[in-house]
Amino acid sequence: MPERPTLVVEGLHAAVEGKEILRGVDLRVPAGEVHALMGPNGSGKSTLAYTLMGHPKYEVTGGRAGFDGHDLLPLSADERARLGLFLSFQYPTAIPGVTTVNFLRAALKALGKELPARQFLQTLSSEMATLKIDEGFRARYINDGFSGGEKKRMEILQLAVLRPRMAILDETDSGLDIDALRTVAEGVNRVIGEDIGILLITHYSRILEYLRPDAVHVLHHGRVVASGGHELARRIESEGYDPILGAAAGAPA
Amino acid sequence: MSIQLPIAGAVGAAAVEARRAGAPAWLAERRSAAWEAFTELPMPSPQRDEDWRRTDVSELRLEEYIADPGTAAAGEALLQAMSQLRLRAAPEAAFVASTRRGLRRREGTDMLDAQGVIICSLDDAAVQHPEQLRRALSTVPPEESKFLALWNALWRGGCFVYVPPGVEARVPVWAAHTAAGAGAAIFPATVAVLDDRASLTLIDVYASPAGDDDMVSVAATPLVLGEGARLDYCLLQQWGMGTWHVATHRASAGRDARLRFFGATLGARLQKAYWEVLLDGQGAEATLTGICFGDGAQHLDHQSLQDHRAPQTRSDLLLKVAVRDEARSIYGGLIEVQRRAQQSDGYVQNRNLMLSRGARASGIPRLEIKADDVRCSHGVTAGHIDNDQRFYLESRGVPRAEADRLIVRGFMQDALDRCPHQGVRELLTELLDEEIAGHPVAGVSSDEDVA
Repeated sequence: MPERPTLVVEGLHAAVEGKEILRGVDLRVPAGEVHALMGPNGSGKSTLAYTLMGHPKYEVTGGRAGFDGHDLLPLSADERARLGLFLSFQYPTAIPGVTTVNFLRAALKALGKELPARQFLQTLSSEMATLKIDEGFRARYINDGFSGGEKKRMEILQLAVLRPRMAILDETDSGLDIDALRTVAEGVNRVIGEDIGILLITHYSRILEYLRPDAVHVLHHGRVVASGGHELARRIESEGYDPILGAAAGAPA
Repeated sequence: MSIQLPIAGAVGAAAVEARRAGAPAWLAERRSAAWEAFTELPMPSPQRDEDWRRTDVSELRLEEYIADPGTAAAGEALLQAMSQLRLRAAPEAAFVASTRRGLRRREGTDMLDAQGVIICSLDDAAVQHPEQLRRALSTVPPEESKFLALWNALWRGGCFVYVPPGVEARVPVWAAHTAAGAGAAIFPATVAVLDDRASLTLIDVYASPAGDDDMVSVAATPLVLGEGARLDYCLLQQWGMGTWHVATHRASAGRDARLRFFGATLGARLQKAYWEVLLDGQGAEATLTGICFGDGAQHLDHQSLQDHRAPQTRSDLLLKVAVRDEARSIYGGLIEVQRRAQQSDGYVQNRNLMLSRGARASGIPRLEIKADDVRCSHGVTAGHIDNDQRFYLESRGVPRAEADRLIVRGFMQDALDRCPHQGVRELLTELLDEEIAGHPVAGVSSDEDVA
């Protein structure tokens, strides 16, 4: 059996404005699995997300990252996206003047997944309905004047419409009330399947109750210091990070 | 000092003489006086003239350009290209096209003729409707500037529109101005007089479909709005990259008149354009909206004036500029509120997007307020493409060039939305896409076409 497309991160180091944030991250996320990445503030979670997607501000200083047998690091962000990577932004960017519908069409076209107009609009309508996004948002400018919750739902709408093979969800659950969280989690659940791997970055275990990750990793000081199953998330929920981080710090390097 | 022999047909006294012949006395006199003013006034200079500080025309040798092309080809292909542009955007519009030879086309005017709307060349208007033409010309006096003097001396053909009181013109008027051939000098003229409560959509287009020949265009468009009149004015400047273009677009608005002025600046090697509205009557209002895209070595200068001369007048200007390569944009704007113009509002916004390191844009708005009960404000921004916006689009697979195109188009969108004619808005959207993509505008060959 051929190996499933897998996101492979090995000893990844990355710096922002000269300051090293990632200090040797190791991670494997195969398609068909949901992996949660947790960790306290400042542990490097968002940096890892941006670095994997190829934001020019994040400089890789060592290690490697690949997907489906391709080296990601020499690729630009749009090339990574065309390889199947997707990033749901923690703080999605507003682009005034560019409507959601035009943006999605441009993205589908770039990904080689262009649909006939009617089919595209039907897909869009049904996905929007599932995510409880008002039809009016089709003609609104991307993220322009959206509330925090609307932005997050719009990220998941893009995930549903663009159908990547590896999605990094960067704190998609933050800033959501309980109902919005359920809607967003259900939206993610609908895309979960054999063809997609998900790296779910989160602070809280609540969304994990909906998404049931196959693995949970803890990032600390730019390194994965603990990995386990769902029980690890539950332990963090009840005890906080300190016992785990303390144990990791005490372990031989 | 060498003595230069005049070039046949060149900008000079002989060209003025040719235009005096056959003109009514008042006009012949006006042309002579204008030529005299032109010869006496110095070229604008960055050192001497505040509004020319950043735009240098010292290399422009006006007398070397040809106003009257002699026996060259007829320019049919040019007129055809201009007509096709109209068919793309406003097939319903009456079409009036001029070249250096004067008025060349007048088509589709039946409906407006039946409404009593007058559409003719300025030459004909001078004979048949002198009061209305003189009323309009009085707002662009020759002695005001070197270029206005030259225009007054040498305009030919052009588009004159008069809308009688209470008449709402049922279709737009599309005025086209075109020229081709190295050394061509054209003096485009579009004049509109809207009588009380009249309304009109006027689309005014300047283009050289033949390409980037070294030409000069000196234009003026006096627009007169009577009481309660409504004018939607759409301006498209699409000259080739070899053209020097100096234009004065000046509207005067009477009591409760409403002007929607929309200008698109895409072409020319160098442009100096005055966009001016004189709010003469109480309650008059004007919106002025512009989009400008410059690339290569283009130098594009807009100078706006919102002159509040009566109480309760309102004006609102938005100019969006994107420049690439080594292009340069200059914007200077003045809101003037006269002492009697109490309870007036005036706004100016100029937003600039620089797409390359070598591109530059500046905006300097000014307020001169002599009344005390007014609301006025201005704002200018200039910046580069936002890296986070670009990354966001790229992260969805959109390649860099397409991402930038979307961002620039998005940047222009709120201005485009203010274009009062839907067909023109759609045309401009397409033309803007072509500009951003860097595709040359498809056109006709200038070899066969000197007009």
